[in-house]
Parts: sequence; C-alpha cells; structure tokens
Amino acid sequence: MVQSLNRTLDMKMGEDSNIILLGEDIGKDGGVFRVTEGLQAKYGEDRVIDTPLVELGIVGMAIGMSMNGLKPIPEIQFQDFIFTAFDQIVNQMAKMRYRSGGTITVPLVLRTPYGGGIRGGLYHSQSGESYFVHTSGLKVVTPSNPYDAKGLLSSSLDSKDPVIFLEPKRLYRSGKMEVPDEDYRIPLGKAKLLHEGDSVSIITYGSMVPAVLKTVTDNSLDADVLDLRTLSPMDRDSIIASARKTGRVVIVHEAPRTLGMGAEISALISESSIEYLYAPILRVTGPDVPFPYRLEDLYLPNSSRILSAVNRVLQFR
Amino acid sequence: MSEEIVEHGDKERMIRGFGAMVLARTLNNKIMTAQRQGRVGFFTPTSGQEAAQIGLSMHLRKEDIIYQYYRDMPMMLHMGVPVDIIINQIYGNSMDIAKGRQMPSHLLARDYNFMSVPSPVATNLPLAVGTAYANRYLKKDGIVVASFGDGSSSTPDFHAAMNLAAVYNLPVIFFCENNGLAISLPTEKQTKVEIWKKAEAYGMPGILVNGSDMVDTYEKTREMVEYVRSGKGPVLIEARCPRMGPHSTSDDPTKYLTDIVKEGSDRDPLIISQKRLVEMGVITEQIASKIREDSQNFITSKFDELEKIPPPSPETLFEDVYEEPTWIIDEERGEIIGRN
Repeated sequence: MVQSLNRTLDMKMGEDSNIILLGEDIGKDGGVFRVTEGLQAKYGEDRVIDTPLVELGIVGMAIGMSMNGLKPIPEIQFQDFIFTAFDQIVNQMAKMRYRSGGTITVPLVLRTPYGGGIRGGLYHSQSGESYFVHTSGLKVVTPSNPYDAKGLLSSSLDSKDPVIFLEPKRLYRSGKMEVPDEDYRIPLGKAKLLHEGDSVSIITYGSMVPAVLKTVTDNSLDADVLDLRTLSPMDRDSIIASARKTGRVVIVHEAPRTLGMGAEISALISESSIEYLYAPILRVTGPDVPFPYRLEDLYLPNSSRILSAVNRVLQFR
Repeated sequence: MSEEIVEHGDKERMIRGFGAMVLARTLNNKIMTAQRQGRVGFFTPTSGQEAAQIGLSMHLRKEDIIYQYYRDMPMMLHMGVPVDIIINQIYGNSMDIAKGRQMPSHLLARDYNFMSVPSPVATNLPLAVGTAYANRYLKKDGIVVASFGDGSSSTPDFHAAMNLAAVYNLPVIFFCENNGLAISLPTEKQTKVEIWKKAEAYGMPGILVNGSDMVDTYEKTREMVEYVRSGKGPVLIEARCPRMGPHSTSDDPTKYLTDIVKEGSDRDPLIISQKRLVEMGVITEQIASKIREDSQNFITSKFDELEKIPPPSPETLFEDVYEEPTWIIDEERGEIIGRN
C-alpha cells in the first residue's frame, strides 16, 4: 500500500502543480512510513514541506492554503498526534463551507496512518475514525488494499470537501497486488462486496478487512463481506441490501466499541430493516480500554472472536 | 511627519479613514442600542478600536487578504465592505452571506478579501500563514493580515502561526489589537512580556503603536507594511486601544473594568484622531460634524430598511455542509421540514 500511495501522490503532483505536501519528516526522510519517499527530491522543498513539530500548524496552514488556490495534502505522522489539531479540523476545516454560506471551501486531503499492529502502544496505535465521522463537513475514507488506496486517494483529491484519509498502517507493507499504472477512481461513499454469501453479513473496513476475509475463507463461511471504504458518508444502500438479504449482521472494527462505527451501522440497520433480521446485530471490536503495548494481540479483534460472533448470530433463535 | 502626510497627498486618505471611523462608531452604537431593544441578538462592540484598525488598513490594498477577528468591523467598512453586508450579518437574515448561521460580529466578505471569523480565538492565525504561503507560491500580489486580541497571544495557535510564518519567511502582518482585557482578564495577567516583544523570540520585527490615534498608527505602521510587502518576512504590530465597553452584549463590564474610556472623552480615539486631523489642517470641526451627521442619517435608514428582510429559509439549514448533501442530510431534512 505504501508503494501505491507513493506512486499516486507522484502521479498527481506531476499532473497538478498546485498540490503541496506538508508534514513532519515527509521530505528528506520520506515520511516515517516512507509514503512520501523521493517526492521532495523530485518536486522540491516548496512542494514537499518538512514542517516544524506542530500538528495544529500543519493542519491550519493546509486549510489556509486550500482557501487560496492550492490543493494541500497535510500528513499527520500518527493519527494519535492529531488531537492538538482537532480544533482546526472540527471548527475550521469542517465548518468553513457552512459558515461562509458556501463562499469559501477547503478542498484538501489530510493523510494519517491509524490503527495498531506495529507494537506502537498507546500513542502509535489508535483508531479515531469516530471523532471525524461524528463531525459533519468532513469526508472520511479508509482503504484496505493497494488498489483501493490509489482509486480512493484520487477521488479524495477530486473532492471539493475536506477528506480525512485514514491509512491502516498495519496494511502498509502487506497484501501485495497489481496496481494499474493508469489513472482510475473509486467513488467515495461506495462500499465493496468482497465476498458473497447468504447466511450472514460481515461489515468491516480498513485494517480488519484481511482478518475478516481470512476467517471467512478458512471456515468456508457463507458470508457477505462488505468493505465500507468510505466511513463518511457510509454506503447506506449496500449495507441495507446485504443486511436484508442475510438477516444476520456482524460488524468488525479495531476501534473501541462505544460510539464506534458499529454503533452507527447497527442503528442504521435497525431503523431501516429490523423486520428483516433473524438475530441481534453483533459487534466485534477493540475493547474500551487504551491501546496496549505488550498485550496488543489480545486487544485486536482476531479470527476466533470474529468466528464466535458469526456463530452466535447464525445459531440465534 | 504629519505635515509630510498632508504634502504627500495623503489628505484624501486621512479624510476617508476618519469617515470610516465615524461610520463604524455610528453603526456600533446603533447595533448596541438595537440589541438593548431586542432587535439584535448579540454584538461584540468595536468602539475604541477604530483608530488602530484604520491606521493600519490605510496602508492596505484590495488584493491583500485579511483574516480579521470579531471586532474588525471598522476595518471592513474602511476597506469598502458595504454596510449592507455587515447589517445583514448582524440581523442574520436571508441576505446574509453566511445565511444567518453565525452569531452577529462574525463577519465575512470574501469578495472584499475578508475571510470568515471563527469564535475560537486565534484559530485563524495558522490559516493566514497558509494563505500567505499560497500567495507566494502562486506568485500572487498581496500580503496577508491576521488580527487578534491580547488574549490570543496565549494560545497555541498564536505560537504556531508566528513560528511558521517566520520559518518560511512569509508575508504576514500579525496585528494585535490590545484593548487591555480578554473578556475580564487584564493583559498583565495574560502574559508576563509585552506582546510586541514576543516578535523577537520568533525572529521577526515587532512594534508597539498608540492604537487610539489613527495618524500615529498610520505613520508607525508604514515601514512594517513595506517590510512585509517587499518580501522580507512577517512582522508583529501591537496596537494599544483601551476598551470602551463590555466584551459583548452578554456581559457586565462593571465587575472588572473600572477605568473605562468614555465616549466623547479626550481618551476616545475618535476625539484624539479628530483633534490631530484638525491640527494638521486635514479637516475642520465643521467637516467633522457634517461627517457625523451624515453617518447618523445613513446608518439609521439602512438599519431600519434591512430589518425588514426575512430570516433565512428552513432549507438553508441543510445547505453548504458538503458540495452535495449526503443521504444522511437529505434524510434529516425530510424529517424536519418535509420532502421537496
């Protein structure tokens, strides 16, 4: 995925000189995960800006750039460090179009790695997607493979609205696949059905997608696996269609359960389709505790927990 | 110096500046009265800060971009923003650019290069830095002004913006309108160091001006504006302009403000500036009186006329969140006001 993101950024920067990258250690160092490797050497220090250590400044500057003709792509080194910029995101970025009556817009793509799986402990592992999904005015996107990463990043750059582009860092260097050289788009707001079945719907996204798919194939489950790809706005139609087809739903994500995406998806299905359901909607998520260092594997949802939830909804009567 | 101003053809500019000061004060007083009458919801008075703002904005050009804060109505009027735009925002009516979404005082006029005002103080300062970066990168003319009050100097946004602007050597004027109080907290309890002196720590020039005197502010800020315009980098200007009233219509300043500058007293910037201009021979007392009278009539009729404009339509609640409304917003609109 790192390579796909890097090549997409390279391609887009080559096409549009108004695209500016800014963030900590993204230039000479190429980013701590190497997503921006080689781009400063190619496009110069004016377009790939190594910034001081100030997240609110990175985001605030990016907003100001986008209001004046540029297309900035700020990077926050770890999503865990985004919170000092939260005011800028929630009160400036997300509200600018609304509070200016549509006369000022903030087209930008904020990239940030999120989630666990790298032994990063409390502050290099969090999944904070709900904070952003809860804020109207933002779009929230997360790819689960290199192909989608390119198509979603391209669509995010087309967007006239600010996009929070969450990169599951656990998948940065796994899941090799062919990524076409040519330009293509994956529309925002569209989920993808990765596996089809009639007995149960497993709804997931980002870093949990490979684990869910492996659970389904290893256990020959007759399951729909829906990868949301965009968390805000969610693909309501695909969620409802799958839930109505199978009548049994499990939602899987890494973020803590309380007010996570699972709660919203569950409410959406209940409100629209309760008469189609045969079983309660179950959530397999990270627990409501801070993200741990040594016990990371216990924290992250795994195949056995996913399978156990699937069995519970299948056997419910 | 003052004679020079007159000789250098600045007389017209001075008269226009003074005219804008008077217009802003008249409008301020009108809004304050209307708020007490229940015709306006809220306001943060701008009285006492006219001279500071206009002293600076006399150097500005229409291509300059201003990140104003919630007391900068005088500067907006001076830079040619129509009174209608301001009054419609104060009423939050259907003609308001922001469709009545923000509390009064949070002004906006993109067509005049005045950006939108957020309530969280100083959060516009990093944006000003980004806008200046874009200006330079895109080789556009114009500098960027970011204004704020003394309280903002304590925020992380102030620090971030000052540091970034200096690191990238960007054309930004940081303009601190120090009225001595952040709501109720006096400046000496806000910061141990005079605000203008902080410039040095970031690596930019800083000056202090008497913000109660339009002519003094104008003269002292000239060099700073030229410095920024010539591409040398950012500057910090602190203008002292003591408060003449409450922080907003929602508070009672008698609890914390004993030394209030009274309207019409010899500490009122309007009186100070008028005296200077009369001494300089730019205006006469008669002309000043005429300006005041004209402003009064103009504002009164505008204010009454625009009050008749209806509030924004219910649909506007759901507009401008995204370029296209999401299904969620469409659904909620349907629930609350019915389908189209």
